[in-house]
Amino acid sequence: MADSILAYIILASLLFSLGILGVIARKNIFIIYMSIELMLNAVNLIFVSMGRYYESMNAQVIAMLIIAVAAAEAAVFLSMIVVLYKQKKSLDSDVFNVLSQKEAL
Amino acid sequence: MIDIIFLTLAFFALAGGYGMVTCKQPIHSALSLIVSILALAGLFALLSASFLFMVQIIVYAGAIITLLLFIIMFLNIKEENLPKEDDKTKLLIIGSIVLIPFNILIIKAFSTLPSKSLGIKEDGFGSIKDFGEVLFNNWLIPFELISILLLSALVGAVVYARKDKYNG
Repeated sequence: MADSILAYIILASLLFSLGILGVIARKNIFIIYMSIELMLNAVNLIFVSMGRYYESMNAQVIAMLIIAVAAAEAAVFLSMIVVLYKQKKSLDSDVFNVLSQKEAL
Repeated sequence: MIDIIFLTLAFFALAGGYGMVTCKQPIHSALSLIVSILALAGLFALLSASFLFMVQIIVYAGAIITLLLFIIMFLNIKEENLPKEDDKTKLLIIGSIVLIPFNILIIKAFSTLPSKSLGIKEDGFGSIKDFGEVLFNNWLIPFELISILLLSALVGAVVYARKDKYNG
């Protein structure tokens, strides 16, 4: 079972679906962030398993670049959450509507 | 033996992801995400990506999730600050039904690949030497662009966290 590429692909697509579910069904801004991280990890798993399948190192390099992008994203996203939480005292993603057109008009 | 390791790691990855999506408290979700990420690191080792296994543990579990846990504890979140999610279960069920065709499409697309043994390779595939050669020969410009991205993320985080008249 672990010898076939399909097992890894099924696992990665299930993890990606869990990430999408977290983004669409939850309102807590932290859980939305963690779901994005889970989706990035699922994509990394697809890259690494396809790299093992074709015996190419390029896929692992791309996976490491994705990890670096996730680290940069973590710094900006979390500092933004801290600023928003200090202003609104809530973690609900519905109250973060400063940039939406509804309130501005 | 490899099958048992794969099934155990896959179970822990999926259970961690499920716990992350369903837990109410953010701290429980972050701890479930650590389980999922460590299981994925084990799967990378099973695919003979030994350097990426270490990067996953050090950068993801060691840096990113620790920063996330630190921020969650630093904000000192009370029960009344959490959003009300009364229709969470309904949205989860509807979303998982909607996502079934997507999963079937991916599995059908990949099932046409000829099957091939993915056992552990012994000839240094995935070692830090091979990795560095490919990174600095083929991927030098993306590597430098990533350094610029990290620098701009650093500057952006400092600008957000600064005290001024807009966010006191």
